[in-house]
Amino acid sequence: MPTDKALDGFGRYAGPATLILASLAGGAKHGYALTKDIESFAGVRVAPGTLYEALARLQAQGLIEPVESHDRRRPYRLTAVGATTLQAQLDAQRRVADVGLRRLAQGWGPA
Amino acid sequence: MSGPRKRAARLLRWYPGAWRARYGAEFTELLIADLAERPRSPARTADVIRGGIVARLTGAGLCGFAPDGTERAGKRARASLASLACCTAVFLGFGGAMWSQLTIGWQWSVPDTAAAVATVVMSGAMLVLAVLALLAALPVARAVAARIARGPDRGLLGPSALFLAGLVVVFAGGRHFGNGWPGTGGHPWAHPGPVPGGVAAFSWASTLSVSSFWAHPAALAAFPAAELTWMALSPLALAGLVTGAAAIVRRTELSPAVLRFETRLARAACVTMAVFLGAGGAWIADRTAPAGGPFYPGAIDVAGLAVMALALATGWQAARQAAR
Repeated sequence: MPTDKALDGFGRYAGPATLILASLAGGAKHGYALTKDIESFAGVRVAPGTLYEALARLQAQGLIEPVESHDRRRPYRLTAVGATTLQAQLDAQRRVADVGLRRLAQGWGPA
Repeated sequence: MSGPRKRAARLLRWYPGAWRARYGAEFTELLIADLAERPRSPARTADVIRGGIVARLTGAGLCGFAPDGTERAGKRARASLASLACCTAVFLGFGGAMWSQLTIGWQWSVPDTAAAVATVVMSGAMLVLAVLALLAALPVARAVAARIARGPDRGLLGPSALFLAGLVVVFAGGRHFGNGWPGTGGHPWAHPGPVPGGVAAFSWASTLSVSSFWAHPAALAAFPAAELTWMALSPLALAGLVTGAAAIVRRTELSPAVLRFETRLARAACVTMAVFLGAGGAWIADRTAPAGGPFYPGAIDVAGLAVMALALATGWQAARQAAR
């Protein structure tokens, strides 16, 4: 799977997908823990329907997998493919951020 | 059951059974925790409802991500093809009613140019759709026969029974009421026209329920009881036939080569339906036929055209998903 393209088909779920993968990079989490963690580091609350839609897609793509649990709250963890995909996605975002920040610092100012 | 758990269970009903079986328990726990934190949130309710609708459309093969793995991709393609079959059936239900009105009208009187062109194009499209349906059914029937040959299959028993029961009722009822139609009298080719009288009469009879008489109860009450019963029963029989066929397609393993073949047929069927729809639309837009005559398009034809357009758009989406 070309990991730099793996999130292309997510469309409006690319945002939640990246947030979920970033959260799971810190360890396995269940739905509510994911919501709270994402809220703490991104300031965004992912609604339950959107969260599970993205989880289902990420699982179907093999980017995350469920962890065996006796609890009704099933945790998920990042797979190796998911980690590589996240790395590629964040590198691309960092390139955009670096260019934007550099240009802001160099040239922008009120006319 | 506690208040939040009850509310979570109510929200969960928006999702299809297969999704609930897989994610229901954990999703319920998330909803309960979210409800405890934010007891009133219309945005959350809207998000869950939207998620449920998307899950249902995904289950029907009408949207969603192309899954990894041949088995899962095949399952999704079969779901898409089954949805396309349902859309085609809806299209043909309304299209057949429109077409039979024109073909039977031609047996009574000479049509104007717009109606004549529409009838000929629609007849050609119907013929192509019949051939495509036959070509699509053959590999599925072969796969079903091979599966049954390996031993009794409970998964196919119910859908097969539903399909056969619907087929028998539609065929027997269509023949019975078609033969009683004074326009054709059941003769194989009663009068001049591009379509054999028996075929036109069968199409008319099997789509008798697509009628503007439903909006006129007083006129409807004057119909013979047998005809009224058929008008109520035939949509149920057609629904049984199509539901059974769709379930058979969903539950029958098809090789990647057969799926590719079926997907090509699906695209061809969509193009043919678009041609049929275009001919119907041109006929309705023409409006030169005398009011009250057999070639004058009524409100039911306009409504039918709208339903057919919706069925075609949905079917096209299903065909696109099947090809992914």
